[in-house]
Amino acid sequence: MVTYRIEMNNISKSFGGVQALKRVTFKVNPGEIMALVGENGAGKSTLMKILSGAYTKDEGEILIDGRPVEINSPQKGRNIGINIIYQELTIVPDLTVAENIFLGNLPVRNGIIQWSKLNQKAEELIQSIGFSLNPKTIAGNLSVAHQQVVEICKALSHDARVLILDEPTAVLAPREVKTLFEILKNLKKKGVSIIYISHRLEEVLEIADQITVLKDGEVTGTGTPKEMGKDNIINLMIGRRITDMYPQRDIPTGEEIFKIENLNNDKVENVSFTVKAGEVFGIAGLVGSGRTEIAKAIFGVDPVQTGIIYLDNQQLKNKSPKEAVSKGIGMVPENRKEEGVILDMTVRENITITNLKNLSRLGFIKNKEEEDFCQQLVEKLRVKAATIDVPVNSLSGGNQQKVSLAKWFGINLKLIILDEPTRGIDVGAKVEVYKLINELARQGLGVIMISSEMMEIIGMCDRAAVMHRGKMIGVLENDELTEENIMRLATGEEKNNEKK
Amino acid sequence: MKRSEGWSAKALDIFLKYNTEFILLILIVISSLISSAFFTERNIFNLLRQVSGTGIISMGMLLVILTGGIDLSVGSQLALGSVLSAYFLTIYSYSLPMSIFLTILICTFFGSVSGYLVSFRGMAPFVATLALMTITRGFAFIISKGAPIIVDSATLTNFGSKYFLRIPYPVLLMLGIFIVVHLILRYTIFGRLVKAIGSNELAVKLSGINVAYYKFAVYAISGAFAAVAGIISTSRTGVGSPLVGEGLELDAIAAVVIGGASLKGGKGTAFKTLLGVLILGLIGNIMNLKNVPAYPQQVIKGLIIIFAVLFQGVKTGYGSES
Repeated sequence: MVTYRIEMNNISKSFGGVQALKRVTFKVNPGEIMALVGENGAGKSTLMKILSGAYTKDEGEILIDGRPVEINSPQKGRNIGINIIYQELTIVPDLTVAENIFLGNLPVRNGIIQWSKLNQKAEELIQSIGFSLNPKTIAGNLSVAHQQVVEICKALSHDARVLILDEPTAVLAPREVKTLFEILKNLKKKGVSIIYISHRLEEVLEIADQITVLKDGEVTGTGTPKEMGKDNIINLMIGRRITDMYPQRDIPTGEEIFKIENLNNDKVENVSFTVKAGEVFGIAGLVGSGRTEIAKAIFGVDPVQTGIIYLDNQQLKNKSPKEAVSKGIGMVPENRKEEGVILDMTVRENITITNLKNLSRLGFIKNKEEEDFCQQLVEKLRVKAATIDVPVNSLSGGNQQKVSLAKWFGINLKLIILDEPTRGIDVGAKVEVYKLINELARQGLGVIMISSEMMEIIGMCDRAAVMHRGKMIGVLENDELTEENIMRLATGEEKNNEKK
Repeated sequence: MKRSEGWSAKALDIFLKYNTEFILLILIVISSLISSAFFTERNIFNLLRQVSGTGIISMGMLLVILTGGIDLSVGSQLALGSVLSAYFLTIYSYSLPMSIFLTILICTFFGSVSGYLVSFRGMAPFVATLALMTITRGFAFIISKGAPIIVDSATLTNFGSKYFLRIPYPVLLMLGIFIVVHLILRYTIFGRLVKAIGSNELAVKLSGINVAYYKFAVYAISGAFAAVAGIISTSRTGVGSPLVGEGLELDAIAAVVIGGASLKGGKGTAFKTLLGVLILGLIGNIMNLKNVPAYPQQVIKGLIIIFAVLFQGVKTGYGSES
């Protein structure tokens, strides 16, 4: 009989009323690389957090090496030998490589750190995974790839039996990915079980021994890369149809209002597209593929190195958001709480911040006019707040997002950029936000909508560009907007490879 | 049971909301009880006149702190203002309005230098204004050659010692500046945005606001107010001295903080800052009346600051749990 390293049986977990995992069964052999794939919100992270002890399961059992265990804290998880490396690395930048690896576990004698022993142990560990790195280097000076190696060594320093990597290649260059794969193969030989979470199917197919696909909290398929095949995996990941989530928008698009030609900067390459008045233009792609960076370049937050941006046939050279707004561009940023709203200030103060000039005389805000203006927008956008003078942090996520949108409604805009406009809000609020987006388009604005949710892109957009690792892979016309096509481009396949 | 719980919760709410007022009230009651000389018109106005300089620079400090910054240079700027006004009046024999104008202009310039370093060069406010603190103090010494400059302008010294409707002029000036800052924070775009920047600078920037301009402006205003406080100092003592205002920046910060402002920015009002100024002044006043020696005074003052701010901590502790 085979003993699995990890056996998770019938795991269920719900948050509030939302069922995040439904009777998931997940098994990994010793010395095996198991890839876990699925869309955002499919339940990958939840499952891994349960395994590593960050969340507790509602139902089901976990066996490690055949023995049932209760992993109720990350500490417990580590003691059992389960280590998780998150996308955001937890390196302490001012300490050396060796100190980072043995942090909290430094070799001491009489309270004094034994430096030579520390460095020697660190070096042995680094070599054991087939890598070389000076243990005395300050970790903050290393590239991200090398920092990742340090994280892996840190995990191994407490005898990892299971290593979970959450999107490890999101921040790596192709050459560095190869190095990482070499390390993973070495670890595999040593009997470590590796769980590899990734969006990038190419990589998954290359490195994984087994693949598990999650969709909406359920396992939709398991098998070897050969058995599964790329097309099949994509189907298993997204196989669902557009519901009536997305309100119709029966308006003809107008003249071309916005054009961007060959935009390049540190973060994006060769971005070109156009947006018409009344059009909703999508930017799809995985997290970190450079979508937000396009928005930031257009809005004057990040510099444009080469390339030309036109608004209404006039060339734009935005050096600041202030200039962008004065030309008629608005942006609803992706991080609502950090960038979209001022949480401690009132609904009124948040909404009118873009329009204070028109609501004032000689620098004094006209209270009544401000109140009327704000009240009107609150009603129009159906922001649910006790009064307009309550702080925004007392509102639900969906209503906060409406406030973030509302501040652009009362002023004259030509183009609005919406970065993940429905992230983290419930379904009802999503539909309302979609209606507001349609309303903006109906007013003749060009709308650029960035989203990680393919369904949203397909349901809402007239056309969409797809990004992959900072490059714009292609623009999909309305009839080409399918989940399969977006996924192909988003995982780096060229547009001309698609089957039509 | 439930009713009394509701009642006590309500009382706690009211207490927390008006805690600065309560502290001041308690101090006034205690002071009146322990010293019969305290609650006399002469002593009260004396107290108010003493705090007028701190009061004025605290208003500038409040604006800076609301943006999430800090201005350590105001004590030195006060000295520079004191020296410059005396210098222009006495050495150059400029008219009083001209001397006042030039003094305010120069201190505003030095405030602007802090503002420039903070908002356009991304320097930490603590560091930029620390540098300006030593620079302006240095200039005060250079201009005065280290010695006090005696002023013989009766108009100016009258301003420092005479009254209007029995209220000393410096106190009126402080109240005037308080009202202006109060109105700015309450009713103007400038005030609204200063607070907004302190609450979430990034969100304000992404709303298309020129954040740097506002951050720059508050340091310039703070410099101007310090100059005014410096001129008051000269008017009260009749000398422009490079030694005045030592450590006054800390009193101003303490006053703003006792008034419930957050050093992270975004929270604070002119009224509560004024109360903070009065609380600080009152502590010094009552200890002088009771002949407490200077060194223990400092210790007691520090303890009362801790006590007052711990009160605020009760409030923010409730609000910021996440």
